Amino acid sequence: MTAAGLPHESRLSDAFVSLLGRECVRDARADEIGVARVIVEPATIGEIAEVVQKCARDRLTLAPLGGGRILAQIRREPVSVGLALRRCARVVAYEPEDLTVAVEAGLTVGQLNELAGGKGQRLAVDPPLPERTTIGSLIAAARSGPLRLSEGTVRDLLIGIKYIGREGRVVNAGGRVVKNVTGYDLMKVMTGSYGTLGVIVEAAFKMRPVPANYTVALAGFARLEEAFDAAFRSSHGAPLLHCEIVSRRIGLALPGSPASANDRRFLLIAGLGGTRAEVDYQLTQIRGAVGTLIEALDGAAAEAVYHAIRDCPAAEATIGARIVVAPSALAGALEAAGAEFCAHAVSGIAQLFLDDVDEQAAHEAVARWRALAHRAGGHLTVVAARDSVRAGLSMFDEPGAGALALMRRLKAAFDPSNIFNPGCYVGGI
Amino acid sequence: MQKQIDPRVMAELREILDPAGVVSRPGELKVYECDGWTIEKSVPQLLLRPRSTAEVSALLRVLHRHNLPFVPRGAGTGLSGGCLPLAPVMICTSRMNRILAIDARNRRIEVESGVVNLNVSAAVKGAGLFYAPDPSSQAACTIGGNIAENSGGPHTLKYGVTTNHVLGVEIVLPDGEVVELGGSIEEPCGYDLVGAVVGAEGTMGIVTRATLRLLREPETHRTLLAIFDQVEAATRAVSAIVASGIIPGAIEMIDHLIIRAVVDAFHVELPLAAGAVLIIELDGLGAGIDEQAGRVTEMVRASGASEVRLARDEAERALLWKARKRAFGAVGRLAPNYATHDGVVPRTRLPEILQRITRISQSHQLSIGNVFHAGDGNIHPIVLYDERDPDQVRRAIAAGHDILKACVELGGSLSGEHGIGVEKINQMPLVFTPEDLAAMVELRHVFDPDERSNPGKVIPQPGACVEVAAPRRQAAL
Repeated sequence: MTAAGLPHESRLSDAFVSLLGRECVRDARADEIGVARVIVEPATIGEIAEVVQKCARDRLTLAPLGGGRILAQIRREPVSVGLALRRCARVVAYEPEDLTVAVEAGLTVGQLNELAGGKGQRLAVDPPLPERTTIGSLIAAARSGPLRLSEGTVRDLLIGIKYIGREGRVVNAGGRVVKNVTGYDLMKVMTGSYGTLGVIVEAAFKMRPVPANYTVALAGFARLEEAFDAAFRSSHGAPLLHCEIVSRRIGLALPGSPASANDRRFLLIAGLGGTRAEVDYQLTQIRGAVGTLIEALDGAAAEAVYHAIRDCPAAEATIGARIVVAPSALAGALEAAGAEFCAHAVSGIAQLFLDDVDEQAAHEAVARWRALAHRAGGHLTVVAARDSVRAGLSMFDEPGAGALALMRRLKAAFDPSNIFNPGCYVGGI
Repeated sequence: MQKQIDPRVMAELREILDPAGVVSRPGELKVYECDGWTIEKSVPQLLLRPRSTAEVSALLRVLHRHNLPFVPRGAGTGLSGGCLPLAPVMICTSRMNRILAIDARNRRIEVESGVVNLNVSAAVKGAGLFYAPDPSSQAACTIGGNIAENSGGPHTLKYGVTTNHVLGVEIVLPDGEVVELGGSIEEPCGYDLVGAVVGAEGTMGIVTRATLRLLREPETHRTLLAIFDQVEAATRAVSAIVASGIIPGAIEMIDHLIIRAVVDAFHVELPLAAGAVLIIELDGLGAGIDEQAGRVTEMVRASGASEVRLARDEAERALLWKARKRAFGAVGRLAPNYATHDGVVPRTRLPEILQRITRISQSHQLSIGNVFHAGDGNIHPIVLYDERDPDQVRRAIAAGHDILKACVELGGSLSGEHGIGVEKINQMPLVFTPEDLAAMVELRHVFDPDERSNPGKVIPQPGACVEVAAPRRQAAL
C-alpha cells in the first residue's frame, strides 16, 4: 500500500488520541519501526474493539504487536496502526483446582507462569524468552518449545478464545472447560494466524502440574545419526518431558559447560520428570537405550540447561529458520543443512541458523534448507533475517493449491476489507 | 419437506457405484433414520456407500450440479443426531475401511475414514503403540465419525480428544473437490484447517482419509474402584485428585441408578446400596505407579469412600471397564428409551451440577442416571422415558434443556464430546452471541458456501428460539 491517500502520521495519531486519550497513543520505537506507523495501547477490550472499528471504517491497516519481534521479521511495509496490548494484561480467572486459567492477551507467558508457579502449575507451552512473549503472540504465531513433546502445543492447551474480528466484532469460541465440542473450533483457526484474521484479546488454557522433580540427561555424539537413534530409543523407553539435539556451538555454550559437550559434535538433552523414583528409573532406561556415558543434572543446573535450549538463539542470528519434516527425516535434513541448530529431535522440528553470512550466502542457505524440507515432506519458515540479508526472502512456504485456496477464502471471509496484518502471511495473505 | 430426488439424478448417482453401494428400498433405508439420538427420526431417500475418494468426489460433483444436500455418516453411533438425515441423500463411509500405512518410528497411521476406531489400536498393538481417543462405541464407530464429532472417551482426561491426534485429513468438499489438509508432519504450513474440520460435525464436506498420531502404550496400569455412600463424596474425591497434580488416565463415575443396571447386566460385584462408584485408572511407569495409587487411595478415603478395591489383574480391569463402557447398554433394562446428555462443567462444580440434576429429575418426574467422565467435568446424565407416551417425551426434552442450562450457568458448556447435532442446536445461543455464531457460519462457508453438507446441524438459524425446547418437526412423538 502506498502512502498516497493515507492520513499523515500526526493526523493519524490525533485521530486515535481523540478515541483513546493521549497516554494511549505513541510513536513506534525499536522493533516496531517498520512494523507500524502509529502505536496505540488500548486499556480495555472495549477500546481494542473501538480501534478495530475505526480502522475498518477508515480502511486503515492494523496489526497486533506482541513484543514486535515477530512482525519486525515478517512485515515488509508498516501497517497504519500497531496494537500493543501491554495494558490488557489481566488475569481474568485462575482456577487452580480446575487447572484452568483465562487471561488477557497482553500478559506474558512469564508473568502467567510466575503466578501459576505458586500453585505448582504452569502453562506448559515454552516458547523462547517467555518473559517477552505475550499470550497473544504465543497463540498468533503458534509458538512452542521443548515441552511440546510431552505437553503438546497451544493447539492442545487452548480451550477458549476471544478476538476482535471484522468491523470490530467481538467473537468468542470454546469456553473455560477442559473438554468442549460446542461450536466450531475457532481456537484452532486463530492459532498460527499471525494477526491476519483478527486481534486476539483473551484466551483460556488448560494448566498442567509442574513435575515434582526435573532432571536433564545429556549425552554427546560424534555422528548426528547416532544422536537421533539414541533420541528415538530414549523416547520409546521413557515418557520424556523433552528430547532435544543441539549442534556443537549451542552445546558448548550451555551453562556449566557439561562435560558431554566438550569433545562431541552433537548433544542430546532429554528432560525427565516425576517422583524421584520415576526419574531414577527413567535414567536407567535411557542409559540402557543410549548405551553411552550419560551425564545427569538436577536442580538449578538442570533448569539452566533447559532455559538455554528453550531460548535457542536462532531468532537472533543473521539468518534463522524453522524446519518441519517427518521426525524420521529430520536427521538427514540437518546433516545436509550445514547450519547450527536446536532440534526437537523426535517431533521433526528444528531451528536452523547461520551467523555472519552475507546476503548471497543467506539466500543460498534458505533455498537449500527449503529444498531439504520439501524433499522430506515438510516446509520451512524463516524466523530471523537481519536487515542486511532480508530483501527478497519469502518468509513462509506455500501449502498445496487446494489448501491455499481455502486459506484465501478464510482470509476473505474473516477480513473482507483486508486490514488485519495484510500481505505478509502464507501465499501473500 | 425434503426435496424428492429426480429419477435422472438417482440414475447418475447409481452409475458411479457398484450395485451393493446403493440402498434405495424403504425397508432397508429405515435403519438409517437416526443415530443414537433416537428422539428425532427421518428416513433418507437414498443411501450411497462409496468405496474410494474418487467415488465420493464423483457423487458430490453430481449432487453439486443438482444443488442437492447430503448427510455424511460413519457408523451411526453418534448421540446428538449428527447424522440425522435432514437431506435426501446419505453418504456412508463404512466401506472405506482400509488401513493404508503404519509408520511406527514416527508414530503415525494413515487410514480411510470408515476404519473402526478399535481396529486402529489393534493394528499397532504389536509395536507397543495405541490410538488414544476411546469412545464407548469404539468397537463400532468410525474414525470419520470421530473426526466429525471430535470424539472423546474415558482416557481423554490424560491423552486428549480426537483433535489432538489428527495430523492430516483428505476431505472432499461439497462441490466434489478433493483437498489435502495437514499431513504427517507436526505443524503444517498456513492456517490450521485440520483443526477447523475436526469437530465440524460433517458440515464442511466428507473426510475420506486421515493421518493419526499414535502414542506409546503406558508401561503399566493400576485400576481402582472406589465405592461411596453419597455421590457428593465421590465428586469431592475427583476434585482432590485433579487438584493434587496427579493426572490419571481416566476418572469415571457411575451413580446409584446405573450401578443397579450394571450389576444386573454384567454381574459385577458392587453393593446395590452404593450412592456412587468411581473407576480411577492410573497409568505410567512401573517405578512410580504404586506410590501414586497409594496417594490416590488416601485421597479417596479421606473424601469418604467406604471401600477401595484395586483390580488384581488384567481380567478384573477388563471387567471394570466392560461395566463402564457398556453402562449405556445396561440402561435399556431400566426404561424403554433414554436420552443421554453431554454437558460439561468446571470440575470443581460437579457436586453442584449433580444436585441440580437431582432437582431437575424431581421436577420433571423422570428418573435420571449418571455415568460420566468425572475427571474432565464431562457429565452424561441419562434421562429415562417411554417414547410411547408423548408427555414423557416432552418432559424428557425439557429436562435435558434444564440440565444444559444449568451447566452453562455453572460456567460450563453444552457438549463435551457428543456434539451439537440437532439435539442441542437450539441451546447454542445459551453459550454464544449472534456475533460468535456469525463468525462460525463464515468459517463453514469457506468450505461449504451453500450449506449442503449436513444441513440443519450445529449452528441454529438466526432468531432460533432458545426459551422453549419444543419438539422438533422430525421428532418421533
